[in-house]
Formats: sequence, structure tokens, C-alpha cells
Amino acid sequence: MNKKVLFILSFIFFLGLGATWVINKANSSYDIPIIKSVPEFSFKNQHGKIFTEKELRNKITILDFIFTNCPGPCPMMTSNMSDLYKDYEQVPEVQFVSITVDPENDTQSILKEYATLNGVKDDRWNFLFSDLESIQILKRDGFMLFADELPLGHAIKFILIDNHGKIRKYFDGTDRASVSILRADIARLVKKIKT
Amino acid sequence: MKLFQFFAYLSTGMTYLLIFIGGLVRVSGAGMGCPDWPKCFDRWIPPTNVEQLPEYIDPSKFNIVLAWIEYSNRLFGALVGLTITLTMLIMFKYYSKETRIRNAICLAFILTLVEGWLGAILVKTVLNPFTITLHLFFALIILMLLIYASQEVYYLEKPTAEKNSKYPKKLGKTFLILSIALLFEVILGTEIRAGLEMIHKENPTLDSTFLLKMLGPFKYMHTITGILITFLAVYILYCVIKKSISPSSLMVQISSSILFLIIVQIISGEVLVFFEIVPIIQLFHLWIASWILGLVSIQYSLWNKSQNTSE
Repeated sequence: MNKKVLFILSFIFFLGLGATWVINKANSSYDIPIIKSVPEFSFKNQHGKIFTEKELRNKITILDFIFTNCPGPCPMMTSNMSDLYKDYEQVPEVQFVSITVDPENDTQSILKEYATLNGVKDDRWNFLFSDLESIQILKRDGFMLFADELPLGHAIKFILIDNHGKIRKYFDGTDRASVSILRADIARLVKKIKT
Repeated sequence: MKLFQFFAYLSTGMTYLLIFIGGLVRVSGAGMGCPDWPKCFDRWIPPTNVEQLPEYIDPSKFNIVLAWIEYSNRLFGALVGLTITLTMLIMFKYYSKETRIRNAICLAFILTLVEGWLGAILVKTVLNPFTITLHLFFALIILMLLIYASQEVYYLEKPTAEKNSKYPKKLGKTFLILSIALLFEVILGTEIRAGLEMIHKENPTLDSTFLLKMLGPFKYMHTITGILITFLAVYILYCVIKKSISPSSLMVQISSSILFLIIVQIISGEVLVFFEIVPIIQLFHLWIASWILGLVSIQYSLWNKSQNTSE
């Protein structure tokens, strides 16, 4: 009887050990790789304030490239971004950045209006503009995205940037499934900052 | 027949292990590790790198660790299904006239098929919480049926078992209430877990102790049912020791083990509430609940046997 009990107990013990290993393995499988650093840039936001790569530090940033007259995927991207913006209302560690790829049309006042139209009421979501060439350089060399035929050839990606200004992952900004994965990844990075 | 007994025990043991693995899938968040069913990323052997993915599947959905955790559950599930099928075939050969055994095993077999089907539905509905609960519920019923059949076969081999023992007649109802309370408790537990996940999705940055407080009523019901279960288990143990005539040592051992496991459950449950939700404790909390349910099935069957033989 004692031998049997001992066998069962050690079986359960090893089962527990195995399960712990599997759970740890599963948890670490969520680790998001570091792709590269966001290079230096100095753009302006919808309030005319300078916004540089330093503003990305100590925050989790979700960044995309849009333009306000975009008929195609932009409204869907902005709607998804707006959902995220509302979801993280209580989380000051998360910010949103949308860079226009059509600076000729998207002036500061138009971006400001666009922000208001999308329910932006604090400084957690910045809409940036600069000259077309600087935007092209940042997009192509900084974010490795196609930037030849702006504004129409803009990307539909949401880019996740960590609190050290490193690009961590790209998501399809028009796809709700992809955005829900983004949501989980944001939570993971925020938890890391907090601990 | 020894062969059938062996297969009945094997099926029971494997079903227990499968419930453990299923719980592991749940706590490690691997439920959608394979986005399709029965194949995994359109392959019979899950892919080991992104290049093996078919074109129509979004590569960001691929996580090799989660895919293999989920697929192991499916493979082991298939193995358990096969074992239960074999058990049924052997049953038809040797015990087809024993209605209790035949009904229990056939029902277990049918529910096993339903479980496979529910597995597919789970993936299709992207882990619908109700289906998850149903999936576990049927697994527990299969377990109880297999244990019942195993016990019945044991009595065929050993007809004198529990012959000298006489337990209070009214215990029959108590076992029934206890089993229902246990099943209800497990369902409440899974609802708490599903609720936690839902709140967590909406408030991803809140910590789990705070989340648990937001669950209010479910948590209280879980505690109240827990108290009822403890009370019933103590009452049964009391009746077995004090109100029965020469209770068998197996009955005493099982009744005390149930109480011991309930204490373990209370402690692990409180650890989950007051500290953090530790996945491994969560997993054992669920698994031990299934042990208790199995032990109550044996308890009932011992009582039932004594009622039939000790006249």
C-alpha cells in the first residue's frame, strides 16, 4: 500500500513539474522579438508641438501612417486605432501616434480637426506631420515600409514600439483578428513596465 | 474477465490524464494553438516553422509551442477515444448481458464521440466559454461512467464484497446531492475562470486579485457550494464511521480521502483568491475536483453494493 501511494505521489509530482515546464514554455513563447530601434526624427503634432523619438521612451506606442483624405483602408485603421485608444483610457503607459503621409493636405489644423472627429480628448494620441521627404525617410529607412508613392502607397500596418523606442512587431491595422493579438501584446509589454 | 477490467481501469486512468492535459491547454492559453480542426495549420503533423504554413493562414497566428500543446491534447484525446472503443468491444464480447456495465460503457463511448465533436466546435467558435464548460462537463460524466463500470466488473469478480457492511439507507440521496453539488461547483469554477478572462480582455492591465473581486456573485456561489460540499462529505464520513455496521476499510479510506482532498481544495482555492492566480495551482484545483468526483462515484457504488447484498 505504501509503495503504491509513493508511486502515485511521485507520479503526480512529476506531472506537476512537467505541467510547470509546459506553462513556462507557453508563457515565454509569447515573448515579442526586438526588431530595431526607431531612428531620430523631429515632427510636429496637431497642436504644433515638437514630437521626437524621445517621446517614445517610457511608453508603449502604437504607430501608423495615414492621411485624412484616404478613401481606402485608413478609415478602418483609424476606427481600430480609436477602439484601442478608448480601451486604454485608464492606462497612461500606452500612447498612439498617427503620421500623415500627405503633409501637403494634412496641415496642423486639419489634423487637429481629424483628431477631434475621432474622439481624441487628451495627449495620448498624437497626429504628426513634417515635410514629405522626412516622412518618406522615416517610413522607408526607419520602419522598413514602402514609401515611394505617397500618399496612396501608404502601409496598413500598426507598429508596436516598446518603452525603449524599439520596434517589436507589425500588425495588419485593418484586420480585427490581428488587432486583438496586438491588444494581448500591448498588455504584456505594459505588465513588464509595471513590474 | 481480467482483460476487460484492465481496459476499464486503463480508460479511467487515461481519462483522468486527459482532463489534466485539457486543463493544461486552458491555463497555458493554448486553446487556439491550432486554428483549424482536426488538422493543425492544415497539416497532420503541426508545422515547426512559419514557412510550412499554408498561404491562407495569417502567420502571426502561429506559435509553435502553443500549437504542440493543443495538438498533444488532440492526439492524447484520440488515444483515449481508441481505448474506450476497445473497452466497449471487449465488453460486448464478455459482458453484453450485464445491462449496467453495457449501458455505462456505451454511454461513455457515445459521449466520447460528442467530446471529439465539441473539440471541433471549440475551435470553430474560437473557444466559446459555454462550450468549454460543456467539454469539461462531459469529460467528468465519462469519468464517472467508466468508474461505475469498473466497480461493477470488480463486483462480478468478487460478489462477496461489502457483504458484511451495512450503511444507512438514506445515504443514497446524500451521494446524489453531493455529486450534483460537485458538478455544479466545477461549472461555477469554470465560469469564474471564463469571467476572469473576459474582464482581463477588457482591462488588460489590472492585476488578477482585483479582477477576482469584480466577479462578486460567482465567487460567493463557489464558496457557498464549497461549504455545502464540505458539510456533506463530513456527514457521509460520520455516517460511515458511526452509523454503519462494520464498514469496509475501502469505504472508510475513500470517505476520509474525500475530506482530505476537500481541505486541499479549500487551501488551494484561497491561495488563488488571496495571492495571485498561479496557473499550476489553478490546474491542480480543477484536477483534484475531478478526483473527488471519481471517489464519490466509488463511494456510491460501494454503498449500492452493500444495499444489494447485505440483507
